Amino acid sequence: MIDRGKLSDYLLQRGFFVVFAAVFVFFALSTQHFLQVGNILNIFSAMDPLAITASGLALVVMSGRLDVSVGSTAFLSCAFGALLMLWTGLNPVLDALVVICCGALLGAINGFIVVVLNVNSLIATLSTMIAYRGLALALTDALLVQLPAPIRFLGNARIGPIPVDIFVMLAVLIPMHLLQTRTAFGRQIMAMGNDLAVSRKLGLPVDRTGFLSFVLSGALASMGGILTTIQNGAVSPFLGSGLEFTALAVVVVGGISLLGGRGAILFSIIPGAFIFEMIRNGLTNLGADPYSYRLVGGVVIFAAMYADALKSGRYALRRSA
Amino acid sequence: LRTYRPQRSKAETVKEEMMMKRYITLASLALCLGFGGAGVSDAEALKPLKVGFSLDTKESNLETAWVDYLKSEGEKQGKAAGFDIQWTINVANADPTRQAANIEDLITRGVDVIMARAFDSGAIGASIKSAKNAGIPFITFDRGSTSGKPTEHVGGDSFEQAKTAGEAFSEILNKAGVHGKCIELQGMLTDINAVNRSKAWNEVAKTDGQYETVVQVPTNWNPELFLSGLTNALNAKPEANCVFAASDFAFPSIQAALEKADRWAPTGQPKHMWLATNDLLPAAVKPMEDGYIDVTTTWDAYAHAKEAVRVILAIAKKEDPKCGPDGCLAKGRLATPATIKDMTNLWSRDYK
Repeated sequence: MIDRGKLSDYLLQRGFFVVFAAVFVFFALSTQHFLQVGNILNIFSAMDPLAITASGLALVVMSGRLDVSVGSTAFLSCAFGALLMLWTGLNPVLDALVVICCGALLGAINGFIVVVLNVNSLIATLSTMIAYRGLALALTDALLVQLPAPIRFLGNARIGPIPVDIFVMLAVLIPMHLLQTRTAFGRQIMAMGNDLAVSRKLGLPVDRTGFLSFVLSGALASMGGILTTIQNGAVSPFLGSGLEFTALAVVVVGGISLLGGRGAILFSIIPGAFIFEMIRNGLTNLGADPYSYRLVGGVVIFAAMYADALKSGRYALRRSA
Repeated sequence: LRTYRPQRSKAETVKEEMMMKRYITLASLALCLGFGGAGVSDAEALKPLKVGFSLDTKESNLETAWVDYLKSEGEKQGKAAGFDIQWTINVANADPTRQAANIEDLITRGVDVIMARAFDSGAIGASIKSAKNAGIPFITFDRGSTSGKPTEHVGGDSFEQAKTAGEAFSEILNKAGVHGKCIELQGMLTDINAVNRSKAWNEVAKTDGQYETVVQVPTNWNPELFLSGLTNALNAKPEANCVFAASDFAFPSIQAALEKADRWAPTGQPKHMWLATNDLLPAAVKPMEDGYIDVTTTWDAYAHAKEAVRVILAIAKKEDPKCGPDGCLAKGRLATPATIKDMTNLWSRDYK
């Protein structure tokens, strides 16, 4: 006989994957082209910028803080990079490095406001979100900045049948996962997320670690932005618009707690980003009503948040017991 | 030569200096009065007209062109009508709540007319009501309201625009002997123009029967969704041979998706994907000239601005602006690769 408590615990812990599998099977059975290898690769390719951005954000979330400026950071750093390339003809590789440094710098500003000035991370990054976007719009004069033609082909580059951006995503996510799970820095992040005050009392370098998590978040947001820009062939004024909330949803849907201290990058971000793109892709394959996209997306976010709340509640009860 | 000057007493010299000072003072006073008088008469001739313009976003050069054209037309038409139009422009950064607050600011400032490009056609009604309560005429610009009737609406005729493009596209497909199976890239579903364009496009599809929409993809006016949406749709509907984009502002993303699917080829080539768009914004000018886009209808920023200023002045003079039942609508012009080179006043190509 199945123990009801164990089953409910299992579903609560693995509920997301049950929903994930159910949605996947539904789309696979009800549409003709969903399960084709090309389509699955398209889903992976489309989710790459989101996954990279979300992996940086995940570090901040795991430390018990938030960074809602990732979309604007991506936009500002990429706008700066695209204009630099157009004005000076800078080598694309160097330009990409400049963009990542720019993202890290913007992240450092966030880190400084949160850690040194001791401002709540939501408030701090909300203000920089607005300021960075405003600055980027002023910089680009709100115009679409197209990439030079020789760079455009990179957006569709492949190694065999696999788009290169999938390798880029893995090349970023695997080291990030190892950083989080196998290093002192990662353990400090998790400790901070569990209890910042206790971590400080234990003598952990919480300020340095917190600051670095924002720097990494900024750098990874700009990397996600680079990938979006290369895929689209242009920096548009919409770049990163709403990305902060989608990335946050990916983080939570994948199983990283908003309260911090729980989750693993690779096993949370990839399924989280995949389900978002899979839903969009599957609905297009189904020929669904355009109005249903938001509804379905909203339901998924709600379900994940609710599961997270239930799970957190159980953990809290167990801890207090 | 030396000039002879008679000797004078000190008292006479002082008196002469004082007289000179009086003349200078009087002359200066007269000059000041003269200029001042002229200034007063100018101010009387041009009545100040404070116009508040609430923009939803300023994220493309269409908005930049609108603002510049509004200012230049305001000066030109305003002077001719005896008004000195003073603009107060604020931007809501794609946030309907921010836009409502911005419009409240304009009401508090006591502007004479409010014009707004709504971010959300369904939410602007509250601001229209607020302005009406304050006795300020309200003009919706470019995007109409679905939640309240403004004093007037000025914009392009989005329904007619897509209808014109759809009919011309039907003709092109007919001549090529092709039945179109089209992917429709829709705009933001809270934008009345996007809704109108979709309606008109599908209405022509039903009437003419030359093409059909095989899948509708919402893009939320986000280039990243243009790319992923079109990529998904091309995979889901491999039989599709045409695309209708509600706007071509994000054309690089459309191009990227077609390149990815190996369907990026100009008209006349076997891989060509038949393309109809709306707007002919800057990103679409070159692809149209090179034959990748088959037909489009322009979104004419200059015509919109000119019409808006005319309506503002008519309202200020308490005259009937003589708009149609749907407002004062400027029609777009049809463009094809063959006609684009000869088109004049094409802001997206000529405006810098």
